[in-house]
Amino acid sequence: MKGDKIPDQDHIARYCRPTHTSDGQIQATAFMLRSGEESLSVNCLELLNCSGRESEVAQLRTIYATKLRSVGARAKIAILNVGEVRNHVLTESLDRRNLEVLHDPQSEDPSHSGIYNLREDDELIAELILTTVRETYNARA
Amino acid sequence: MPEMTLPSHDRWFVASQKASIAYGNKFLVDDPASREPYSGAWNVEKAQYPLKKVSYLPTPTVSQEIPDVLFSGYRKIEDPFTQTNLVEGDEEQLQEIIFKLKTSPSLVCQEVADRLLTLFRDAKEDDPTYIGIVLGSLRNFYNFFQLHTELKCPSISLTPDNNIYISWRAKKNRLFSIHFLPKADVRFVIFKPNDRHPEKQIRLSGTATTDILKEMVDLHGVWNWIINEG
Repeated sequence: MKGDKIPDQDHIARYCRPTHTSDGQIQATAFMLRSGEESLSVNCLELLNCSGRESEVAQLRTIYATKLRSVGARAKIAILNVGEVRNHVLTESLDRRNLEVLHDPQSEDPSHSGIYNLREDDELIAELILTTVRETYNARA
Repeated sequence: MPEMTLPSHDRWFVASQKASIAYGNKFLVDDPASREPYSGAWNVEKAQYPLKKVSYLPTPTVSQEIPDVLFSGYRKIEDPFTQTNLVEGDEEQLQEIIFKLKTSPSLVCQEVADRLLTLFRDAKEDDPTYIGIVLGSLRNFYNFFQLHTELKCPSISLTPDNNIYISWRAKKNRLFSIHFLPKADVRFVIFKPNDRHPEKQIRLSGTATTDILKEMVDLHGVWNWIINEG
């Protein structure tokens, strides 16, 4: 339901555009807000209701292909654990930032969620989030 | 025959011509001369300019096609001030800067140019109507690299607003990242080991102008691990 907190034990996936990667490596820019954005778009893997990581990634690819104008050949998927991201940023950021991950379903994307309490000038927070990336996959099959 | 009043001098046209510099290969300087109206200010009061009387035909049988030359010269602007033209003009300047890097004798600059070109193409693929890389950010980045030719090649990516963001990562969890903003400012992040407490890391972030960035971050020993040795 919209606004529900995503539990710390859950996992989120972030679509990383090719411009947010360098030599195949995801960069901190993947975790920065665009001007005017309120939250960082992610998908909650547990809300996809798939049987395992492989099918979750396949499902994410389908969502991206439906929602986005194009999925770049060098685009990546970053998988993170909600609790790890929140704790790391809370304990290591200069202002002890308390990030929130909230469910924000969309009609064609029911698992869509957002990372809230970010600001546009949060390079340091973006670098901290980057260090918590657990797995990466190609966004195109 | 009815009469209408129009400004006797084409000052508005002169101002419009100035604005068209944005399409060329020069910087857009939004600094109109004090006696001319600001190029974007179309509602300048008429009383500022001497007026003269111009005749026109009131009949609807007059051709409805737009004449080649209008009364006050607006028609002389062949190329309207559109976003498309701005993007095209900026793209030429972007390519010019990347070309300068590509033809530089420095191998690092050539590598950087290749990377920027890839980013530019990726950004255009993502949104063909957008400029790709913010010109001001690229200029800022270019000036930084011209100022410091001894740097190692960094990882380069674009922020969601298409500014340039570069990072160097080194051993012992060292990180130095720079976000090149469209003017001459940068925001930076430093992660480095805490020598007295090896289990901890020192993290800093800040804002500076590009020209003094080295002085600011050198206090933290950053330059030693982002320059090419020898």
